[in-house]
Amino acid sequence: MNTSPVTSFLLRKASAISDEEFIQLRDFIYAKCGIWIDEKRKYLIQNRFEGRVAKLGMKTFTEYLKFLQYDANRDKELPFVFELITTNETSFFRDQKQLDAFTDHILMPVLAQQRAKNRFELSIWSAGCSSGEEPYTLAMILAEKLGPELRKWRISIQGCDISLPMLAKAKSGVYSDYAFKTTPEAMRRKYFTPVEGGFKISPAVSSMVSFQHLNLNDAAAMKRLPKSQVVFCRNVIIYFDTAMRKKVVSAFYDNLQPGGYLILGHSETLHGITMAFAPKFFPGAVAYLKS
Amino acid sequence: MPTIGINELKPGVIVAEAVVSRDGRVLLAAGGKVEARHVALFKGLGVSGVVAAGGAGGAHDEAAAGYVRDYFVFLNPDSPVVNELFSYAAQAVARRMESGWTLPSLAERRAENVEHLSDVLPMETADPDKIVDHEVQLASFPDVYFKLRQEMDSPTGSVQSLAEIITRDVSLTAKLLKLANSPIYSLPEPVESIARAIAVIGTNELSTLALGVSTINYFKGIPKELIDMAAFWRHSVSCAIFAHILAKALGEQNTERFFIAGLLHDVGRLILFKEMPYASSEALLHARENSLPIVEAERAMLGFTHTDLGRSLLARWDFPPQITVLVNQHHDPMSAPSPREAAIVHLADFFANVAGVAAGWLYVLPPLDEKAWELTGLPPSSARRVMSDFESQAEKTFSAFF
Repeated sequence: MNTSPVTSFLLRKASAISDEEFIQLRDFIYAKCGIWIDEKRKYLIQNRFEGRVAKLGMKTFTEYLKFLQYDANRDKELPFVFELITTNETSFFRDQKQLDAFTDHILMPVLAQQRAKNRFELSIWSAGCSSGEEPYTLAMILAEKLGPELRKWRISIQGCDISLPMLAKAKSGVYSDYAFKTTPEAMRRKYFTPVEGGFKISPAVSSMVSFQHLNLNDAAAMKRLPKSQVVFCRNVIIYFDTAMRKKVVSAFYDNLQPGGYLILGHSETLHGITMAFAPKFFPGAVAYLKS
Repeated sequence: MPTIGINELKPGVIVAEAVVSRDGRVLLAAGGKVEARHVALFKGLGVSGVVAAGGAGGAHDEAAAGYVRDYFVFLNPDSPVVNELFSYAAQAVARRMESGWTLPSLAERRAENVEHLSDVLPMETADPDKIVDHEVQLASFPDVYFKLRQEMDSPTGSVQSLAEIITRDVSLTAKLLKLANSPIYSLPEPVESIARAIAVIGTNELSTLALGVSTINYFKGIPKELIDMAAFWRHSVSCAIFAHILAKALGEQNTERFFIAGLLHDVGRLILFKEMPYASSEALLHARENSLPIVEAERAMLGFTHTDLGRSLLARWDFPPQITVLVNQHHDPMSAPSPREAAIVHLADFFANVAGVAAGWLYVLPPLDEKAWELTGLPPSSARRVMSDFESQAEKTFSAFF
């Protein structure tokens, strides 16, 4: 009896993206959001987008490209494009050592300075906040550190992201277990209440945070944001090429008040991007000072 | 051969054995294709299941192909050899699903919490040489390695002194004897001493093996929440076996150096785990979340890759250059001084990754340099042969290491 396999599987699932189409799509994405997709990711892009193309009832990438560029509804398609090229999973209290360094060496001195000036206000910008875990984490740290004094303060934590679905999730304030992977149990008990589908952030924390749709490629929109004492932008510039990184970091510089700090992701540096900031080394973290 | 229960049976399955009703009537002959009417007929007549021809039209095919496709997102879907390997992996996953394997969920594909780990250097100042500097200052390298190295370079080196150096290290001796008796050599009679192994396998060949294997113990104490070390070594040994198979197929001499290069090709990642556990976990997480091969995630996150670290480390250890170059170039074979040799380890790594998909490996396959495959001159269909040679050698060779 012959039992050798008779079918083989075919890797290709849909029509191919031509080199020309890939270049057009890549340039379109770069122009819209500054995310650079190199040649090696051609098949990845094809794979990610072919489902979307089919769903729209289109047969080729050329058709899809025309739609992106000329259709009356083209702007409504952009969030789907962003969704397909960035993945932003994160969790509360991610990179605890960095947050500790921030709290002890940056936040506490800044709060003390403000108290001395009798100016009970603090402004933080969380750029690329994804589904809100980072700005809410910062709000929880402030609630912990200020305690009852929090009432006296005007805290503004501004979370911005390019993805509308992520911002909607952030605004809902409801999170599943994954978001608590790096979260001390005491924090979850104190600042969240169990609801259907997960845990909801408490109003005491969420009232410090607001969310806004923002494209980091939109220099004018960034200029309109209120000035901050601290900018958090963790694991975001990794998606950008050097030109775009320079552009974004320079916007952060302009947004920061003198003496303010920029905090990047654990493995990100300003090497080769700018010399405008002074790196400050703390155990487990680096922060960039606008002096 | 997979048995498909009647409730899971779908049209399109080819039956390997005739489907017979309870009263002995043949409802569908062996080799026949199940159609919708058959499914209804079998149900009506109380057939409990059918024996499907391996891999063909099985109940899990679609899920398996979909799962495996996710790992092939960096590969050219029109390359014949890539398709051959895709097909192999999809069939292997389907087979495992038949025997009850549940595909890893998205949650399982994410890294563990590593908040308690810290890097020895801030990324701002870390570069491959500095990381390796710190590593070699901290931990001393196995003594036996240097003795072997000396012996290999010495004009007065002898078989006897080589055997003496090896036999003083009990764990190394045990590993080498297991390797000598593994299907890699398929020797007619069991080898029971190092002296005999040297006689049968050759002095240079056994020295090379001993040198590579002696380094393994150096890499202990890597946090287990960071990476499944069993899976890491399984991948490394698989790569070694594939490199050996390919080197032989291409008529290379001293195939042991390909084996050792395969075994140590990811040595730079071990340094990264030891010295920069938090940064490397960030890179692993980035790889998983964004469907990137680890090497691409390292480049994006850290600005260098494990091959940069491997290069620096092997230079510090004064590793034989004919092995070092194979390790250094395993992601970039075509710019090696001898691309054909480097291609062997590059392809071996790729084949090992393909074999790993059905074993539960969670990272997207790195790009395959199709020119490297062309250099071998092997037809795409031979990829299957290489895979089946590997399968016949794998378990026994693994047992030499684990």
